[in-house]
Amino acid sequence: MHERLVEVKGIIFNIEEFAVHDGPGIRKLVFFKGCPLHCMWCHNPEGISFNRELMIRFDACTGCGKCSDVCVNDECITCGNCVDVCALRLRKICGQEIEVKELAKKLLKGKEVLINSGGGITISGGEPLAQPAFLFNLIQELKPVNIAIETSGYAKNEVFQTMVSETDLVFMDIKHTDPLIHKKYTGVNNHLIIENLQFLCKSDTDFHVRIPLIPGVNDTLDNMEKTALLIRDAKHLKRVELLPYHRTAGAKYSMLGKKYSPDFNINKNVNIYVDVFKEYNINVTVL
Amino acid sequence: MNLKIESLLNYVLQKKHHQFRQSIDNKVVNDFSVSLKNQKLTDIRRAQKRLTWVLENEIPVILPEERIIFTKTIQKLPEIYTPEEWAQIKKNHYIHELGRVCNINSNYSYTIEVGLEQRRKEVLHAIDIQSAKRNNEGIEFLKAVLQSIDDVEKLTDRYAEEALKTGREDIFNMLKRIPRYGAKSFHEALQFFRILHFSLWANGNYHNTVGRFDQYMFKYLKNDLDSNVLDIDSAFELLEEFFISFNKDSDLYPGMQQGDNGQSLVLGGVDANGDDSFNILSEMCLKASLELNLIDPKINLRVNKNTNIEKYDLGTELTKKGLGFPQYSNDEIVIPGLLSKGYDLADARNYVVAACWEFIIPGYGMDIPNIAALSFAKIIDVSIKKHLELSKDFDTFMKKVNHEIQNELKLITATLKNIYIEPAPFQSLLMNGCIENAQDISFGAKYNNYGIHGTGIATAVDSLAAIKKYVYDEQSVSAKEIINAIENNFEDNYDLWVKLRYYAPKMGNDDDYVDNIAVKLLDDFSEIVTKFKNERGGCFRPGAGTAMYYLWHVKDINASADGRKKGEPLSANFSPSLNVKLDGPISIIKSFSKPDMKKIMNGGPLTLELHDTVFRNPESIRKVSTLVKSYMDMGGHQLQINAVNREQLIQAKKNPELHKNLIVRVWGWSGYFVELEEQYQDHIIQRAELII
Repeated sequence: MHERLVEVKGIIFNIEEFAVHDGPGIRKLVFFKGCPLHCMWCHNPEGISFNRELMIRFDACTGCGKCSDVCVNDECITCGNCVDVCALRLRKICGQEIEVKELAKKLLKGKEVLINSGGGITISGGEPLAQPAFLFNLIQELKPVNIAIETSGYAKNEVFQTMVSETDLVFMDIKHTDPLIHKKYTGVNNHLIIENLQFLCKSDTDFHVRIPLIPGVNDTLDNMEKTALLIRDAKHLKRVELLPYHRTAGAKYSMLGKKYSPDFNINKNVNIYVDVFKEYNINVTVL
Repeated sequence: MNLKIESLLNYVLQKKHHQFRQSIDNKVVNDFSVSLKNQKLTDIRRAQKRLTWVLENEIPVILPEERIIFTKTIQKLPEIYTPEEWAQIKKNHYIHELGRVCNINSNYSYTIEVGLEQRRKEVLHAIDIQSAKRNNEGIEFLKAVLQSIDDVEKLTDRYAEEALKTGREDIFNMLKRIPRYGAKSFHEALQFFRILHFSLWANGNYHNTVGRFDQYMFKYLKNDLDSNVLDIDSAFELLEEFFISFNKDSDLYPGMQQGDNGQSLVLGGVDANGDDSFNILSEMCLKASLELNLIDPKINLRVNKNTNIEKYDLGTELTKKGLGFPQYSNDEIVIPGLLSKGYDLADARNYVVAACWEFIIPGYGMDIPNIAALSFAKIIDVSIKKHLELSKDFDTFMKKVNHEIQNELKLITATLKNIYIEPAPFQSLLMNGCIENAQDISFGAKYNNYGIHGTGIATAVDSLAAIKKYVYDEQSVSAKEIINAIENNFEDNYDLWVKLRYYAPKMGNDDDYVDNIAVKLLDDFSEIVTKFKNERGGCFRPGAGTAMYYLWHVKDINASADGRKKGEPLSANFSPSLNVKLDGPISIIKSFSKPDMKKIMNGGPLTLELHDTVFRNPESIRKVSTLVKSYMDMGGHQLQINAVNREQLIQAKKNPELHKNLIVRVWGWSGYFVELEEQYQDHIIQRAELII
């Protein structure tokens, strides 16, 4: 990084305080909006688009019509006029464009609690690496607070490598080792991801590997074994975290006017293989 | 827990012991009160005769295999006055709750150590001294205490006979020693406590707190362990049985609702020298409570700067159970707070927690820490109506608020005159100085201070912040608009309602703009309260607890300037408003540690709710512990964390506006429960059934 550019803007969709499963100590978690992947099981669908979006809870809607009365556009421009007229507060604009400086200020509010607990700030998404200038300038502003990044690993090599050198801890997803299956379920080839993973394995940065276990998609012994082979020689792999699929994954799709229609059986129990990692002396846990 | 404890637990949970409860005709109970009247007895004699009546009518019951005996069979205690007499007394006196001694902490340890016969000698000696002084009232009181000792011993003797009859020689042998003589073992000490606690109830006293159990019982445990009378497992078994005993009869206590029975037990904290006193018994208590999953005794954990994170972990493990305790109290804040109100250092270091959260002193405190409550929401309501239009700036308005607090406290304290409390001879035996001074505890003790709860603090602060911002700083809303809107419950000003409710700054977001108002308001409260003295020579203690007032006080007020609509509840205790979406727990603990809580020293915890899935594994348990410790390190005084359970989730589903900050773990991520769609909420509710 050269000079600090605190005016750089990015888009985020949430800040969560007290994230208990996303790095050491007490952490704040910021979600960057926008992701190049379109995983069929994505539980944060509002993290996919890089634009602001209107989210609506329809289940409690009484159809009073006030929202339509104030709307003057044919297509939603996320002006937010309909949000406040809803007396039941069923509408919100998801996504906030924000400058690095302002976001850093928000995240560092109460930083003594984070620091004293051995915690810090975790940047998640969406895909944080999809907004590299925003990300790297933010990291500069947040330092020396401990930084963790949650990433799909889908990013240009130089972006990924800069991130690894600037971060205290990386959570990297490995969704599937097979390129074709990966493409089918996430929309992208896993070539870049594997390359970046190989870099991470050789780096001096601590990392966790996260595997969302999707029933019938990646929860096979073969895939787990191939995953284990990819990471068995990593110097700073702290552990592998298996995240069994949960049926609540589709909770937010209808709020975005999207349909949740995965082509795997959501009611099937996932296979959980831990021994395959243990055989390579890899620390493994189920979250 | 072993099989024996499990079977006793099930026995009690299934209420099988209720079969021994007597159904004494109401007429018999009422006739007893009439007979006291007809005998023209003094109140002290009446109180003594009630205890005699209750203990004589008790029927000894020994449950299968139990080793900590004494089970209540009488369901209703007689009154010492007829209804007509009581009505007359009420006309002339201030009566607190039921008019009986309650909500204090006895010095159990001295009597357990020396035995009732030694106490008898002390009373006889005191009678000699008072006879020389011809203090007839004092002598009458002391004789009533003597009678109470006789009564307790007689019931014990009948229990001993029953033990012999049912082949329980172990119990028979123990009752030959205690309570007449001092306890020699952990088992004897526990049984002795049970007899004293039982007798306090029979004496008509309630909210009989347990106090620093891990301190005064430690030596008995240690002796037994050192001399191999007990090993850890057998000691733990006794402790669990002892804990179960608190749940046998707690439904017979008077209280606001079931569970409000005052059986608070305090663990840890500094000793007389200021050193941390957490010991093996403290740890065993936390573990026993964890295993038994019973609401009694209610666990309080005293912490201080030397309390390590592992002890917080033990507390968090217990929180995970969803029982709503332990409640944490911070020695670093509470002790200086007590000192500032004139408590001696040794006493302050020995503080315990009353039925709910109020800080009281074992053996020396006859404080009434819940005597009244100041409704901050009402203060602001009144101030807005009377002063908002006339106040040229916010500071002027705050001065008017200060003035209204003074007025309200004048009114409140003026009603607390000429208090009458029924005498309590047996309770007096367990309080320091009553025997020597030949005076019943109902007349007071070393400390006789009154506590004033403060309710609706967050509602008041949020309302003030909205007024400061919109009426004065931005001048975007007029005073008149605010006044009209809250009077009409925002019926004809929807936009203003949205602005106040959703866009105004709120306490709990670590925003100095609003938090500084809280600091000022509570400083004012503390300063104003200092000006008042009670009729017993004591002071008033400001607090942040609400008890049931958070529902009651809502009835007195309109909508409020923070956008709370009429009838919506205030938050419980020292907590953010219920209808507010906040940034999260870090911001909350930061906001709520800004006021100087040493001044708000009557107690009243910050209450946080975390979904129980946050407690999933040792790593996340540690994080919750760290959050609690962070609050304490920043100057928090008292904290209660709830692991939210299914019932609360159902409530949240019905009233999402009141549960906006309820965090649930969904799948590898956390979210706000109320933001999920119904089917997913239902799913999580179902899951909660499995978790708990």
